[in-house]
Amino acid sequence: MAFQNGDYPEKELLRMIRKWLPRDRIPRRVRVKDTADFFRVDYDDVVFLKGVPYLVRNNEREGRFGLEDEQKFWVKRARNLLTGDVKILKWVFKERFDAKIGSLVFECVRSPEKEARILELVRGRPDFMQGETVPDSSGNQLRVLDYITGKTLGQHTLELGRNHEDFFHNHFPALLDEFLGVVEAIRFLHENNEKHGDIRRDHIIKDSETGRYRWIDFDFNYRHGESRFGFDLFGLGNVLLFITGRGDITTYRLLQESPDLLERLSEDDVNIVFHNRVNNLKKIFPYIPEKLNRVLMHFSLSAPLYYEYTRELLEDLGEAREDL
Amino acid sequence: MSADESPIKDKHLLIAVDESDSSRRAVLYVADFLGGFPGFTVTLLRIVPAPEKDFFDNAAEQDAWVEEKLTAANKMLENYRQVLLQSGFPEDKVRYRACIEQSRSFSDAILETRCDLTCCTIVVGRHHKSRTEEFLFGSTSSKLIHEAKNCAVWVVE
Repeated sequence: MAFQNGDYPEKELLRMIRKWLPRDRIPRRVRVKDTADFFRVDYDDVVFLKGVPYLVRNNEREGRFGLEDEQKFWVKRARNLLTGDVKILKWVFKERFDAKIGSLVFECVRSPEKEARILELVRGRPDFMQGETVPDSSGNQLRVLDYITGKTLGQHTLELGRNHEDFFHNHFPALLDEFLGVVEAIRFLHENNEKHGDIRRDHIIKDSETGRYRWIDFDFNYRHGESRFGFDLFGLGNVLLFITGRGDITTYRLLQESPDLLERLSEDDVNIVFHNRVNNLKKIFPYIPEKLNRVLMHFSLSAPLYYEYTRELLEDLGEAREDL
Repeated sequence: MSADESPIKDKHLLIAVDESDSSRRAVLYVADFLGGFPGFTVTLLRIVPAPEKDFFDNAAEQDAWVEEKLTAANKMLENYRQVLLQSGFPEDKVRYRACIEQSRSFSDAILETRCDLTCCTIVVGRHHKSRTEEFLFGSTSSKLIHEAKNCAVWVVE
């Protein structure tokens, strides 16, 4: 079987592995695997892409649809044995499925081509993950992505401030500025007629090298209707709600912790999709300015108008920022 | 001057339809309301929303999808044309067109067609969407009501 393994005998590969790995992690022998089938590529295997050897580590994991730590067998962490850089190797895995929100069902697809296209579009931008698309020996288009070290926007938010009031007065303005940058990045996609497709707070990572947030994982696409970007905007609204509330404020949580606050809420105050999430945060945290709360209420059950474009959200958030 | 040479131009209606019951109601409404009256031309329009290429494995699959949808759309439009003819519209006053749309929204495509054909009225059926659906994916009739210029919009319940 012909591998794209250049001129690297096993001995040389082992020498390279020793250079980057601690002694107790060095495999006894090197197994070079073809990349054609990601299920056959395991921990400690070496794969070659464009002549570069990568030592494969663990599959990446992701919490999704209530399932924590679901393994993504087609996404593997790996080390470039020439440079020592940690990379994410993403195999071609196309799936088509129906997503469900309440009683609403809509068609979605996981498309390697979409992610490859966007990787090209955002090349060099500090607000998106970076990487390249590389054909393997079987002609599959694998994505080789830079590994981003850092916390997600959600994790970062929860660590700020002693309590909500301290968080809101001392940390939130800067966080909102960062969020505005995050929304600007999505505007760039939308203006180039691309959707992110899977907007959520754990797809926004604060790169510890640059200190800036980067969007990751843009291989999802959804069948849109009249509004092409409505679903992306819904995701942005959820993230905004989370960072403003320093976590999701749910009716269940209020029932447990502050039943008096729950009493003050009406059905108009909750999220238009997730009826257990409170959008009218001003009723919970009275120091939240009206303009910011109005933005949140655009995503509530009582909203008479919805955002259709990121620029509309950005304009309103820009105005809300002035009041902080 | 004979009636045939009347300088008064026909009022041109654009009925945008899909396979829904609400579209059927819109066509029937126009048939009931205007069928048999002179001075009206109708264009039936079906805009087929094409999924982006990410939803297909290859171009051949996408082409087959488009062909199938266009065939179905033309068949539906011919049926609706017959409804209008039976209500009294003259043969030469009812036309139809089907097109595939990938990048523009339905409303943008409808408004552009209205402009091209200089229609004075757009007729659509009202889909009864949930608030969630309207929030996530928008509403064509709402958008038309807000965006249409120099024409009337009839939204048929």
